[in-house]
Amino acid sequence: MEITFAVLLWGVRIAFLVVLYLFVIRSFGALQRALGSEMAVAARPLGIAFLVVQRSVRGAPRVGDRLPLRAVNAIGRDAGNDLVINDEAASARHALVEFADGEWWVEDAGSTNGTLVNGETVRSRERLQYGDELGIGRVALRLEQ
Amino acid sequence: MNKSQGAALPASPPRWGLGGIAARSRFTELSLLVWVGLLAVFGFIAVVGAETSSFGSASIVVPAIFIVLVLSLHVFLIARRFRGDQVLMPIAAGFTAIGLVLVQRLASDLLLQQLSWTIIAGGAFAATILIPRDLTALARFKWTWAFLGVLLLVAPLFPIIGREINGARIWVKVGPGSIEPWEAVKLLLVIFFAAYLEEYREVLSRSQRRIGPFPIPPIPYLVPIVAMWGIAMLVMIFEKDIGATALFFGIFLAMLFLATGEGFYAVLGLALLLVGGFVAYQLFGHVQVRVDTWLRPFDEDLRFGSGYQLVQGLYALANGGLFGAGLGNGMPDRIPVVWSDFVFDAFAEETGFAGALALLTLYLLFLYRGMVIALRAPTTFLQLLAAGLSFIIALQTLVIVGGNARLIPLTGITLPFVAYGGSSLVTNWMLVALLLRVSEVSNRMREGP
Repeated sequence: MEITFAVLLWGVRIAFLVVLYLFVIRSFGALQRALGSEMAVAARPLGIAFLVVQRSVRGAPRVGDRLPLRAVNAIGRDAGNDLVINDEAASARHALVEFADGEWWVEDAGSTNGTLVNGETVRSRERLQYGDELGIGRVALRLEQ
Repeated sequence: MNKSQGAALPASPPRWGLGGIAARSRFTELSLLVWVGLLAVFGFIAVVGAETSSFGSASIVVPAIFIVLVLSLHVFLIARRFRGDQVLMPIAAGFTAIGLVLVQRLASDLLLQQLSWTIIAGGAFAATILIPRDLTALARFKWTWAFLGVLLLVAPLFPIIGREINGARIWVKVGPGSIEPWEAVKLLLVIFFAAYLEEYREVLSRSQRRIGPFPIPPIPYLVPIVAMWGIAMLVMIFEKDIGATALFFGIFLAMLFLATGEGFYAVLGLALLLVGGFVAYQLFGHVQVRVDTWLRPFDEDLRFGSGYQLVQGLYALANGGLFGAGLGNGMPDRIPVVWSDFVFDAFAEETGFAGALALLTLYLLFLYRGMVIALRAPTTFLQLLAAGLSFIIALQTLVIVGGNARLIPLTGITLPFVAYGGSSLVTNWMLVALLLRVSEVSNRMREGP
């Protein structure tokens, strides 16, 4: 009987380690899934604000387009941006517009020609009011509700 | 797909994520808690079985109480229609289960006490979920938190209520037992820093004056923070707790860096830490002992003296090997005070490198989740709060595991959730509740009410 007990005890010890690993793997999986659904939510437009195209080149984006804003929006010439500006005066990754602390903010992402708010160059991070005009390359966009 | 063509999207999209019911039932949390329950049951059977050489039904009582506790917390969250994160609570519960198993293994006479503290910690968790109605309101009372923090910090120095245990004067007598107030101070400090840095980060990060690449911070705005830090350092020197000082300083630097984005502050702070460490080494005997033990624990004069604990810990690590000696089968009781200072070594001896790796991975997942919560938080205060809170757990783990493995000098920091100790367990569960609250605020904002 002594031997069976020892074997059982080792079984329990191994089971402990196996359960520990299964728990780690399941936690990781749950975390990844949560992250995925949260990113899907973040990618949806908030529906509270739009950038309305005032001036454009080559018709992309078209003048008068209402571009819905998400919580964080990357703007630039690259196809990977949330808002793509098809103008060689715009940098590949030009600026970030984000919603934080209940307000809209614009941040220059190290662009070559700079980001303008109502004609003035953005130094690092500036608050955007509704009605402000954002200048990226030769494209002008107005923040509207 | 050209995303700028998104103009055709409806003006107000439906803002329901995950589907209302799936989010409410917290199924992910429940399925993870099943594993936590199994972990507690197997751990207790193995440890009690090795001790008594039989599988008695007595070994199931404590895990059963623990499982009832975490399930009632789970039901409580559902009843509150709580919509925060579902991964952090099970991970914290997993740590706590491992902690209970280790207390049973290493100091079974303390088990009842630790179980009671676990129940109190569950209560503190529930209270933190309930009580601050509006999390952002915490920021408005920042000076209250700073004052309360300092008061708690100096409390052990007062003659009647303060107590000195193992050379560190960090305990306060409460009734029959004693608590470590600085455990609560770390939460208060993070709330204060988050609130303060939210208000002044613009001024701190966009300083106009620079010498070469180095920003010169606007001095008046830095004064309260540096004063807070200075008080913490001074008190800790008098209370002889190096680990807590390192932790305070680490939180301070990390949050300053997160808020301002100035790497220079972090570099300067690390340089200050090195200088401070060197000065402390020259001035204070207890610091000298720690450093000497770290550098040469196997020397003839140390290995049976001040280095004994560390040396036994290292032997325990070596004895563990890849898969460990088996729960209840090692000799971790050779390490003095193993249940509070050296739980990591004890766990690594009995479950081996495999078990230690799994434990550290869980801490990594905790940090990862906490940082994602911070990134998603809608306001600067909540972002800094979540990042600071997760950083506490990460830094504590780093400092104590590094100390146990002789990577850095050993300090008396507790391994979060796992090490024996009531104050630590209660505050860490409150910390988890605060992180959950932050994630709930973001979920509500993004998915609608």
